[in-house]
Amino acid sequence: MISRKVDMRATTSSRIQACRHVALAVVVSLAGATSAAAQPAKPAAAKPAAKVDVGPAVQKLKSGDEGQIRAALDDLRIAGTGASAAAPAVVDALSRGLNEALAQQAIDTLADLESADGSAILAQYSRHRTVAMRRAAVKALTRTKGAAAAPALRKALGDSDAQVRGNAAAGLGMMKAKDAVPDLFVALDHKVHEAASSIGQLCNAEQCDQLATKLGKLPFEVVTSGLDPILFRPTAEVSDDTKIKVLGRLRELGTGEANRFLKDVETRLPKEASARIKQAVEQAVKATSGGSQ
Amino acid sequence: MKTVSRAFGAAAILASVLAQGCAGDPGRPKTFSTNWVDDQGRSISDVQMRLRGARPGASTDLVVSVGGNDDKIIGTPLGGGSQWTATHALDARPIIAGGVVVVSGGKEVAAFEAASGKKLWARPTGGLPLLGAGDDGNITAVSLARGDGSTLLIVGRDGSVKRQIETDKAIGDPAVVAGVVFVPWSNQYVSAIDASSGDEIGRVVVRDKVSRALTIGGTLYFGEMAFVRFDDQISQASRGKANRVGLPSRELPGTPRLLVPGTEKVPPAANARDRDRLFGRPSGDSTPLGIDSGRFYANYYRLVFGFESQGGNLAWVRTHAHELIGGEAVQGGIVLCDEEGRILVLDAQTGQLAAEKAIGEPIKSCVVHADTYQAPKPSTSAPSLGQQITDAVTVREATLATAQRLLLRELATLEDESATKTLIDIASDPRSVPVLVADARAALATRRNGSSHMLAALGRHYDYLHDVLSSPPVGPIADALAAMKDPKAAPLLAAHLLDPHITDDDVKRAAGALAAIGTDKEMPQLKQFFAMYRGTAPTDEVAVAVGSVAEAMLRIDPKGARPIVEAASKDSMTHPVVRARIEALLTAVPSKGEAAKPAGDKPAGDKPAGDKPAPDKGAPDKPADKAATPKRN
Repeated sequence: MISRKVDMRATTSSRIQACRHVALAVVVSLAGATSAAAQPAKPAAAKPAAKVDVGPAVQKLKSGDEGQIRAALDDLRIAGTGASAAAPAVVDALSRGLNEALAQQAIDTLADLESADGSAILAQYSRHRTVAMRRAAVKALTRTKGAAAAPALRKALGDSDAQVRGNAAAGLGMMKAKDAVPDLFVALDHKVHEAASSIGQLCNAEQCDQLATKLGKLPFEVVTSGLDPILFRPTAEVSDDTKIKVLGRLRELGTGEANRFLKDVETRLPKEASARIKQAVEQAVKATSGGSQ
Repeated sequence: MKTVSRAFGAAAILASVLAQGCAGDPGRPKTFSTNWVDDQGRSISDVQMRLRGARPGASTDLVVSVGGNDDKIIGTPLGGGSQWTATHALDARPIIAGGVVVVSGGKEVAAFEAASGKKLWARPTGGLPLLGAGDDGNITAVSLARGDGSTLLIVGRDGSVKRQIETDKAIGDPAVVAGVVFVPWSNQYVSAIDASSGDEIGRVVVRDKVSRALTIGGTLYFGEMAFVRFDDQISQASRGKANRVGLPSRELPGTPRLLVPGTEKVPPAANARDRDRLFGRPSGDSTPLGIDSGRFYANYYRLVFGFESQGGNLAWVRTHAHELIGGEAVQGGIVLCDEEGRILVLDAQTGQLAAEKAIGEPIKSCVVHADTYQAPKPSTSAPSLGQQITDAVTVREATLATAQRLLLRELATLEDESATKTLIDIASDPRSVPVLVADARAALATRRNGSSHMLAALGRHYDYLHDVLSSPPVGPIADALAAMKDPKAAPLLAAHLLDPHITDDDVKRAAGALAAIGTDKEMPQLKQFFAMYRGTAPTDEVAVAVGSVAEAMLRIDPKGARPIVEAASKDSMTHPVVRARIEALLTAVPSKGEAAKPAGDKPAGDKPAGDKPAPDKGAPDKPADKAATPKRN
């Protein structure tokens, strides 16, 4: 077990510097997650973060002092997943009650710690009366995962706030919550467009085809945000037959935007893609080349 | 033709002036003179004696509608007979007077036979507006507005002008009985004019505002706001002792009028006034004079109300498919017309449809006169009044809101449990008119029955995904169920406490109810709410709710909850409103704690130091949270 002491009294500038690194890491991580949907799946190569001594931060969290709690949360956010051992203490602070600014910070901290220990309290805050709090909690749940996360996100699909609904829909895809696909379809029919991408990441053969039938009924870019991941999922998850069926639906659409989408898919097809898929894409591109704009 | 008419008119005026000047009896008033001294009913008594046994002209049971381009007159008999149609330009609403229908337009006034629609006569008017008409089967008296004054035209069946009386007084709608024309004027007098001589042979001062003389069911009445019967008591009218009947005063939808002032020209097409009217029919010859069938009525766009004439209580309300634009009370009911050209006869007692006729085309307006027509008995029984009101208030039309507010108040007085459900439905429906929602919520909070409907409503939560786009009226239901001390309410209210989609007011009231009826089963939700919002309450209402939740926690589990609440009271992160509230609670509740009191009992510590005693937790309109509520800094 690797352990690393972090100077909790680091200067502000070094903290900001560290924050930048963390932020960059998050951006890279998110970018990876996004592109993963568009690229052939690759084995995760993320290196586990070094564990951090969270004792001092936990003490501050328990102090009940507003300033110390704020400082502890700052430190933990900087440490990121390496400080996940502090998650129960953050949960405890949230459970006792904080003011709005600290509650928001604690939620964001739990997101950065990515510990499943945070999911239960985040599920509670995903029903907070302040919409900003709900948005933050829903986003955090997609990172902490945990037993409470998927049910909370499914519930959040019915939230009155569009952003909460969208984040929840996207989160369910990222969490591989396959059971949520029926709910995601209902959400998609209720203009939660983020649901399409998640469906594309999670659907079985029948559900994938069901998504493809939305072509022409929902905005093209919405449906293709879900069809794209289907076409790039490994054959073990989505069979070539299913992919060819999806390509057939795009081909039937025959529009210019379908042609542009298919061309883009063609350029991104991995070398290991089956000959059937390559041929189907090629033919679909040809068939739609005269499509209307 | 014009010259002849003018010459005749001048002769008639001369005759009239001579008649007035030569009236031999000094006790008789000069026509429409204002220097007349009240004769204590002597002259009108003479007229009454003279007419004893005489009846107003032919009985007419007829609906006359205006159709086409305000130039089509359609006569539909209420009893037997065929519908007829006549064409004449119209600048005023047709008038049914005895056996004729009098119309005005194209600078003339004309009469059609009521039974057949046959044109009887027409006289030029120079475009003077038609105000009223009376008929006794032989002569027709027509009142016309002429600047600030008036013209009274008395025309024979053959169209000959028997009298033309010009006056600078504003005369109203006349009636004719056995050759005597009764003319209301200056809102207080009714002059009896002998049509053959033009003499005013009697006059009565009426204490009610009077601008109309009407024959209804063979009896003559004077009035506008009420009906004063012309009978052997009429001589007592100036002393307020004539036989008179009015409608009881009560809240009505809009500002309906029983009778249009007889000095007011009524346009040919119905207007807003016609969609908001009162109807009542005097009971005839019976003494004391009453209102037929014990009912008076009001219409409001497509709603019709039946009220008890004694006391004015709402007896029934009927929701019709189309706007109602005219009608009249008849014996045993009311006849109404809708804009689609249907004539409805409603039963006085129940408001049920007793008969129906189709005019056959959409109409612009209608007038109804019924002397002998009796509304038949309906074949269907009426639904409960609660159901009738529900049908009326759940129509989503902004124009009906005024009447619906009145009906909601009526509904709130009914013991019927379905009334509770209706109030919940209105308060929950996002399509409801906002003012109705507010009324329904207020009424709901005061309900003391229908708890099953309230509990069912609390089972619903906002859910965008399943198109439940509004929350139930949690606050008012919480008030009502807390007052009823319903144990089934607590878990449902606790669930709503944590639902972000109910309003801040609803949160406050749900928490107030839980302070009264919450049990240890709700402690997890209460603790969660307390922790989550003691420092993050977005509004003072939510902060007050946190205080109520603390109150509930301290009541249910004094030993376990006190440390939590005490810690919160010392934490600078606790919302100032919450802190003030819980400090007051802690001061009032003994620190050693007591056994939890049964649900619904008043908590021991419900009297913040220095504050007024907290109101009864059961009182829905008096929230539990009355502790100091300082503003955030």
